[in-house]
Amino acid sequence: MTKPALRTSSEVPSNPSHEMRNALACIQQFGSILIDGLAGELSGEQREYIGIMLENAAKIRSVLDSELAGTDGLLQESKIKIERVSRREN
Amino acid sequence: MDSRKILIVDDNADIRLGMHLRLKANQYQTFFAADAFSGVAEARKHRPDLIILDLGLPAGDGFTVMERLSQIPVLAVIPIIVVSARDGLGNQKRAYAAGAKAFLQKPVNDDELLAVIRQALGEPAGMKKPTLYDQGSV
Repeated sequence: MTKPALRTSSEVPSNPSHEMRNALACIQQFGSILIDGLAGELSGEQREYIGIMLENAAKIRSVLDSELAGTDGLLQESKIKIERVSRREN
Repeated sequence: MDSRKILIVDDNADIRLGMHLRLKANQYQTFFAADAFSGVAEARKHRPDLIILDLGLPAGDGFTVMERLSQIPVLAVIPIIVVSARDGLGNQKRAYAAGAKAFLQKPVNDDELLAVIRQALGEPAGMKKPTLYDQGSV
């Protein structure tokens, strides 16, 4: 059965790049399995559409490689500062 | 010739299935483990020719698996290819230091993975094993 979508804030991935890379790996893996005919022969149109899907998956990967490369480090370095404040001051 | 045995250690069932389909199409026999403890247990049981190892695993991690395997002489010689979604900066260096033959960051290109597997198994680099599709059996 397909896993349900994220439901609570506690289920939000703590490492977005890591989670996205795993999901993207599955998309690329099964896309290439389909396009290589490992799950049966495809029509020309089906191959074309999966090709489009894979091209776009490759674009996401390049974005991950370039823009999110340093994000994980930033997230790990970030700290939450908790302070007690008075409501009267608000 | 018997097909070479590859143990896939990854906690993501979809990744395991995808790798199995790709490796089976290239005449490799696959076995699976979804956590660090099972990874070592399955390696003991099947004595694979190669291990594909994720780093983020329940019941330990990929480094724990490599450390435990290195302590068992018959398993210490099995080549390990780390395939992880973790960043390659520190993990790649640490994986090589722990004895990995290669470090690939997810998502992995199939051709690249197969090339690294063949190299680790000492198979000719240029040899392309036909897929089921190539053979016309699907």
